[in-house]
Amino acid sequence: MDAPAVRADGLTKRYGRTVALDHLDLEVPAGQILGYLGPNGAGKTTTLRLLLGLIRPTSGRAEIFGVDAWRDPVRAHARVAYVTSDVDLWPALTGGEVLDLLGHAHGSVDAALRDELIASFDLDPTVRVRAYSTGNRQKVLLIAALMTRADLLVLDEPTRGLDPLVDQVFRTYIRQARDRGQTVLLSSHELSEVEALCDRVAIVRAGRLVEQRSLAELRQLSALAVEATFPGAPPDLRAVPGVHALVVDGSVLRCQVDGSIEPLLRALAEAGVTRMTSREPSLEELFLAHYDRPDVSAP
Amino acid sequence: MSAPRAGTGAPARALVFTLSVRRAVRSGALWGAALGVITVASALSYERVYPTLALREALARAFGTNTMTIALFGPAPHLDTVAGFTSFKVSLTLSVLASLWGLRAATGALRGEEETGRWDLLLAGPRRRVATTAQALAGVAVGIVVLAAACAIVTALTIRSTAGGLRATQVLGLGGAVLAAATTFAALGALTSQLDRSRHDASTTGVVVLAIAYALRLVADAGLGLHALVWASPLGWIEELAPLTAPSFVAVVPVALWTVALVAAALRGARIRDVGAGLLARDDRGRRHRRLLTGPGALTWRLLSSTILRWWIGITLGAGLIGLVARKASSTIGGSSVREVFDRLGATALGTRAVLGVASLILAVVVSLLAVGQVAAARAEEARGHLDWLVASRVSRVRWLLWRLGAAAIALAGVGVLEGLATWGATASQGAHLSPVLLFEAAGNLLPPALALLGVATVLYGLWPRAAVPVSYGLVAWSLLIVIVGGIGAISPWLLDTSVFHHMAAAPAEAPHVLANAVMCALGVLGIAAGVTAFARRDLVGT
Repeated sequence: MDAPAVRADGLTKRYGRTVALDHLDLEVPAGQILGYLGPNGAGKTTTLRLLLGLIRPTSGRAEIFGVDAWRDPVRAHARVAYVTSDVDLWPALTGGEVLDLLGHAHGSVDAALRDELIASFDLDPTVRVRAYSTGNRQKVLLIAALMTRADLLVLDEPTRGLDPLVDQVFRTYIRQARDRGQTVLLSSHELSEVEALCDRVAIVRAGRLVEQRSLAELRQLSALAVEATFPGAPPDLRAVPGVHALVVDGSVLRCQVDGSIEPLLRALAEAGVTRMTSREPSLEELFLAHYDRPDVSAP
Repeated sequence: MSAPRAGTGAPARALVFTLSVRRAVRSGALWGAALGVITVASALSYERVYPTLALREALARAFGTNTMTIALFGPAPHLDTVAGFTSFKVSLTLSVLASLWGLRAATGALRGEEETGRWDLLLAGPRRRVATTAQALAGVAVGIVVLAAACAIVTALTIRSTAGGLRATQVLGLGGAVLAAATTFAALGALTSQLDRSRHDASTTGVVVLAIAYALRLVADAGLGLHALVWASPLGWIEELAPLTAPSFVAVVPVALWTVALVAAALRGARIRDVGAGLLARDDRGRRHRRLLTGPGALTWRLLSSTILRWWIGITLGAGLIGLVARKASSTIGGSSVREVFDRLGATALGTRAVLGVASLILAVVVSLLAVGQVAAARAEEARGHLDWLVASRVSRVRWLLWRLGAAAIALAGVGVLEGLATWGATASQGAHLSPVLLFEAAGNLLPPALALLGVATVLYGLWPRAAVPVSYGLVAWSLLIVIVGGIGAISPWLLDTSVFHHMAAAPAEAPHVLANAVMCALGVLGIAAGVTAFARRDLVGT
């Protein structure tokens, strides 16, 4: 059986007394897109830098396709391409020269795909990096990663600074990459992007992994958002099992419900509800729910 | 009404000034104190090494009219007094260091802040670009005053508590010369910050001007009948101030005119140019050159070759200049007392060889700066995150560093060849028939201290990357300071041993110290090995 694209086993990174990442266990099967979420300072970039062997784990182990990322980085990175949003490239080189350099560094480039990407992302490769806008520098890195057809794409906030049109181009190529069997580890604050692209989501908080599931599983396990309208004032539903986050706005009541919806439906019917809608929570709501709950960071 | 800002406590109107002052004052006080220590150390060493009138007169006879040393260090009147010796020994050093400080402070406060994008935030508020630039420069001006005051205060306090030899007015004049040097080059930095669009480029332009100023002053003082050239060099103006020997205020005029003109041009530049851009047009498009993009080795050469080439040209020109004046300078040396002085400086032979031997210290310092500069370039590559892109692909970080160090080795080897050739060609053109083998041996003798410092810098880079560059440059400065102050016997031997230049023979005046050179080379190689090992095991870290 093939090794997973990414495996972190008890991966820990400390800077003095600060714990940047605390015993992370993470596995990304080959061919999937994993959205890696977390607020600023949660440990997302630390995780990616550990996976790339740029920093040394305090304890634990990071593997890429079964190869230890710290002990044998050159072999591990043979199948990896990396993009970050903190773009500071060689200012005196042109965009095309940076693509050549990173292509040589990676070892293999699909030249036809590179040219197609340059056209699709609307990049002028003859301009020196120092004259590029932030977005154009980001395009250079995206093209450099995609043109390698690497088995694993590690993307850290890859679309920061890109306009919505380029963002759509990016999503198209990421889907194509997945369809070809490439694996993508996508760290992002753009929840709509993660929702649109990812098969699974991992959420990290304060250096700890607090959730790792498919979006469908997350939604099943999460609260349902309900909005109900009454002829008069809404009833008091605080005692109804599973109901929380109650908000009353005139004759409209909004709430969330965990577990079975039956008690709530019964209570609403008794109160003479005139209109009711329910929907699954968005990724944003799921994400925020994880951060509103104080207990989720408990080991 | 100007409201106070959270954190700074400064009125909004003076925010840029306050921030600039904070930075400049801290650094100015530190540098100023260091300049004071250099001055005091020189004065004290003179009293200790030349306690009798006879010795002082011998020194004055040896160097008072020697065109070589005057060309290198400046005029040497009244060498039989503490003030005269101190002026000869430290004036140029102080001028150059104060100039570098002024340049660094101005480019940092203007282009450095702009480059980081912080000025975008400031200028998005109710501020004009010209006023913001003026405030930043005013902050630097306060720093310059602190720099000069710290130098004068440290000198005055220490001199008073020791044997003395400098009057209060002379110390005040010394502070004035420091102030003039820093102001002159801060004004230059203000202008280059408008011309170039990166701090690195603005500083490099300023350093090139400083080097030209030094060369002009050198030619002016070389006894070639071109002394008027001293007025074409900002360092010449500072030299003409001569605060310790023959104070003259005429030189204040070009300093003031230069400063006003350059600051006015800088303010005008700030008004008419785009934020983030420079006044000098640069070609932002380029043809695709694929030859030197095939890996870390090729990239290293592509990124460093122009810098190394500039170093080679500079060192070749410097060695050539010294070679040109060496024979003429040596003709003014004679007598047993002069031999004694040269002996103290490490040159046991007389004639052209002795002069070249004494000058080898300057070349050794420059070559060491070149060596340390390669580690600084590697660190900059890592700090900016460029290394991440390479290491995240199939490039081994160890291989990358070895390529960088290999480039340093090539740079040093090239220096050995070019310095030897330049000195041989220049001395031969003046009729000094020195063996090329001897001169290449002397050129090779410059390399062991540079290799030792390269090793130390690599260890620091491997273990303590954020501090590696300042500490390594500090070690070069320390080694120079120790050898300047103590090379003639003014400080304890163990302190002398901490200077790599102390262990270097004054070749070609004397034979290279084979054992010392071997030890320095071994230290360098061990340092490199230890540094590379440490680098392989540590995190890559940003700024």
